[in-house]
Amino acid sequence: MADSAKTLKRSSAEREGTQDSKRLKTNGDGTTMDAKQNPYLAHLEEDGRSGFAFKSPLDKFERQNTTARQASEAEDSDNNPWTNNPHSQQYFKILKTRRDLPVQKQRQEFLDMYHSTQILVFVGETGSGKTTQIPQYVLYDELPHLTGKLIACTQPRRVAAMSVAQRVADELDVNLGEEVGYSIRFENRTGPKTLLKYMTDGQLLREAMHDHDMSRYGCIILDEAHERTLATDILMALLKQIAERRKDLKIIVMSATLDAQKFQTYFFNAPLLAVPGRTHPVEIFYTPEPERDYVEAAVRTVLQIHASEPEGDILLFLTGEEEIEDACRRIGLEVDDMIRESDAGPIAVYPLYGTLPPHQQQRIFDKAPDALRKGGRPGRKCIVATNIAETSLTIDGIVYVVDPGFSKQKIYNPRTRVESLLVSPISKASAQQRAGRAGRTRPGKCFRLYTEKAFKKELIEQTYPEILRSNLANTVLELKKLGVEDLVHFDLMDPPAPETMMRALEELNYLACLDDDGELTTLGGLASEFPLDPAIAVMLISSPEFYCSNEILSITSLLSVPQIWVRPNNARKRADEMKQQFAHPDGDHLTLLNAYHAYKGAEQAGDDVKKWCHEHFLSYRHLSSADNVRAQLKRIMETHDIQLVSTPFQNKEYYVNIRRALLAGFFMQVAMRESSNSKVYKTVKDDQLVMIHPGTVVTSPYDWVVYNEFVLTTKQYVRTVTNIRPEWLLEIAPIYYDVDSFEKGEIKSALTRLTDKVRRRQAMKGGR
Amino acid sequence: MAAPKENTRSNNDHDEDYDDIPLQHQRYFGAGLHKRPISFVSASTGSSQLQSVNNTTPKLSPPQDISDIYLNLVLPKTPQPSPPPPSESQPDAPPCPICNLPLQAPSSPTHPPSQCPTPHTQSLAHQLSLPHSHPPSSLDRTRMGLSYLSSHGWDPDARRGLGAAEQGIAFPVKARLKDDNRGVGMPVSVSKKGDEKGRGREKEKLLDAGKVRKLVKEEGRRRERVWEELFGDGRVEKYLGKGAGGGGS
Repeated sequence: MADSAKTLKRSSAEREGTQDSKRLKTNGDGTTMDAKQNPYLAHLEEDGRSGFAFKSPLDKFERQNTTARQASEAEDSDNNPWTNNPHSQQYFKILKTRRDLPVQKQRQEFLDMYHSTQILVFVGETGSGKTTQIPQYVLYDELPHLTGKLIACTQPRRVAAMSVAQRVADELDVNLGEEVGYSIRFENRTGPKTLLKYMTDGQLLREAMHDHDMSRYGCIILDEAHERTLATDILMALLKQIAERRKDLKIIVMSATLDAQKFQTYFFNAPLLAVPGRTHPVEIFYTPEPERDYVEAAVRTVLQIHASEPEGDILLFLTGEEEIEDACRRIGLEVDDMIRESDAGPIAVYPLYGTLPPHQQQRIFDKAPDALRKGGRPGRKCIVATNIAETSLTIDGIVYVVDPGFSKQKIYNPRTRVESLLVSPISKASAQQRAGRAGRTRPGKCFRLYTEKAFKKELIEQTYPEILRSNLANTVLELKKLGVEDLVHFDLMDPPAPETMMRALEELNYLACLDDDGELTTLGGLASEFPLDPAIAVMLISSPEFYCSNEILSITSLLSVPQIWVRPNNARKRADEMKQQFAHPDGDHLTLLNAYHAYKGAEQAGDDVKKWCHEHFLSYRHLSSADNVRAQLKRIMETHDIQLVSTPFQNKEYYVNIRRALLAGFFMQVAMRESSNSKVYKTVKDDQLVMIHPGTVVTSPYDWVVYNEFVLTTKQYVRTVTNIRPEWLLEIAPIYYDVDSFEKGEIKSALTRLTDKVRRRQAMKGGR
Repeated sequence: MAAPKENTRSNNDHDEDYDDIPLQHQRYFGAGLHKRPISFVSASTGSSQLQSVNNTTPKLSPPQDISDIYLNLVLPKTPQPSPPPPSESQPDAPPCPICNLPLQAPSSPTHPPSQCPTPHTQSLAHQLSLPHSHPPSSLDRTRMGLSYLSSHGWDPDARRGLGAAEQGIAFPVKARLKDDNRGVGMPVSVSKKGDEKGRGREKEKLLDAGKVRKLVKEEGRRRERVWEELFGDGRVEKYLGKGAGGGGS
């Protein structure tokens, strides 16, 4: 309590400090009754009202007792109730469209229910306006400027948090980063004035590690809860506990799908408010027989729609980048034929997947092409997307949905410790969600590329939540830091399998983040400060011992962003040649470092870095974001007194030290070559047969390698590998490489031989 | 997409991860896919239209096909015990507390008394109703993770999950590798099993010396025939010049 009062005072003081000097810096203007009702304000002197220094329509509002009409009037006023600046023309234009949103009709109903309960479950389909509007409704009711307690709205994706925050800032006619801000990993755009904060769910979780009661917030809105991301699941379990301790904390769980009852029961039978989306009926079609090739069937269906269905855009769901690009190409070629042969309309095909650069992602919002000539058949737009178009993204104009019934899903196998992204059949809920995309503008059609019987029999009811499909090492570390003692009875909505939990505990134990009793160690506490996987965090923390923390910091940042290598289809050879310029014979980690150093060198030389990156087939976007990540991590290191040191580059140990430091975190990701002149490696302890990913720079076949990730496609690959010496393993991770703990096999015998050798050498030294 | 670039890919045939299209699949025109429409069928009545948010209550629909009906008969829907079949409703036989069947095996048309001399406890119904005793879990007892979980009250042999009521899943979600484009509901057996069968049949053939001789003779005859077809025509021989056919014999 004392703590929260302190933050409260600080934030109100800060807020006033930034206001215009001509405005009065008073604390006590216009008091209302609610100040006494709020236990937090009791700590403040006098009336404790730290409202605005200007006259605002909000002054008359009674906190947590407002009506929709009051709010509408405040929104209609000439001056912005939050900043006192006159409203712009744009504001009124947006306000008009906002008033047409489906949620608007139920604003009063929402407020009534919000006042009556601590936890509220809100269901509204994508496009109902819930993500942008509900937080604003809460803003006008919670009046955070009075209490200093912010409103948080979580999003599963970084991009969504950023774009929605921008949108809401526009809607409220304020600058992004002031009254409305966002906070995502490695980027925080909030200020002392911030009242409403969009953030990723993971970011709120990180904040909770230092503020177990989430005392900065008066209301927490969990958006897109139906996606059941790992962080949202953990947040729900935490908030369930916090809600009992903090009766003043309001919680809204927002979901876009129909299975909201599960949320209700989980949250002590919380009341539910449903807002119908702006949906039209969607007619569903199935194939009469199962399809041999779903990609081909998908392309055929798109063409069929194009040939015979009336105007309207098409959304096709496929699983990954390659497949999508292939389908786009095939559709384009076929439609060219159709135009030649039968005077079909033009079609604009746009791919959409996560790794697509943002400006290309934006193209999906382009208008459909016009008819080729006057009076010709109308053109249409076809978007070929992964399941990001399933719930998160709203594309207007889609009338036809083609659903082959697959998506790529992450699955973690705790026995082999492999996290893989596999093409799997979707769930019934997912299929319904996809179909719903067709009915956004007018009645639509959904073509499912499987039989109705398969829909009923083969598809599971609900997609497995992420927590059941992930490596939990990071989660367990976070939970420990969050003060969760009993991981067995932690009240998650869908608790993970015991084996998965055990693996996570053991991994953390080997990393010395947890002791043998499962208690957080000092190292573990420190590792949890970094928004990184525990292994990487441990590597970073121990890097000063190897005299290369600067370099490991750079490598860490480079591993935290998408691949920096660009390899366009039409210039692969040149791209590979360019990469070879940076290549270090000992491995990919060092090659990454070389590229980064070259990039920084070009930057310092004052070159046009963008051009330089383009010439060298490097991604400027990812390199500069790695640079940003590096700065953030460096700050964390500095606050925790982790030294930043380097071995002089002339020293021949320069690269050796780095390779050794890699092992301090990644000693559990090591593979040994099966036999000499074999290309196959076997991972240590998990005994998985793998090959080195062909994208590597490593040419000579080393016997032992450390790898950054395990990729399971049609073959099992390890990607980003670096050559190491096995003696280092015994030295750096003696517990993990205790020979007795190994199963019989080549690796065990290799290690036994090695231990003997080391022992003999030491004996020799001792004897001399 | 341009053809001349293709020669650069010869040395990285093995990398599936790059989205190169194999040469034989490169198409400069459509492959005529638009001429092969799929005859979609409308969803069966009742579920053809997507329900809107308003009617969230799941409707209990009557069983749709025969396997549903069968499962409805077999699986107990409600915990209440089903009334015993009329033929066995004899008031004097007390029901067994485990399997709910009368203790004395009554005579019934399906089980003539002469054929069930076994005591009731050994009857199939009774045995199936007995509570299962499971073998202990195969987890390695020395694992640190296990000792943590059991120190917080989780029993590895109880077949329970984690969570407030230990309601979580007992085993990790399984991953299944999919490396083809087969659609949902397409049976796995169609192409692969067929291949295996074909190969299997070839292997089954046992050849003795006579058969081998026969095969060789046939092979020779076939080769001759091909030869004749290729070079039998005088014009070809003339074109190829003298001695062109010599290499073959």
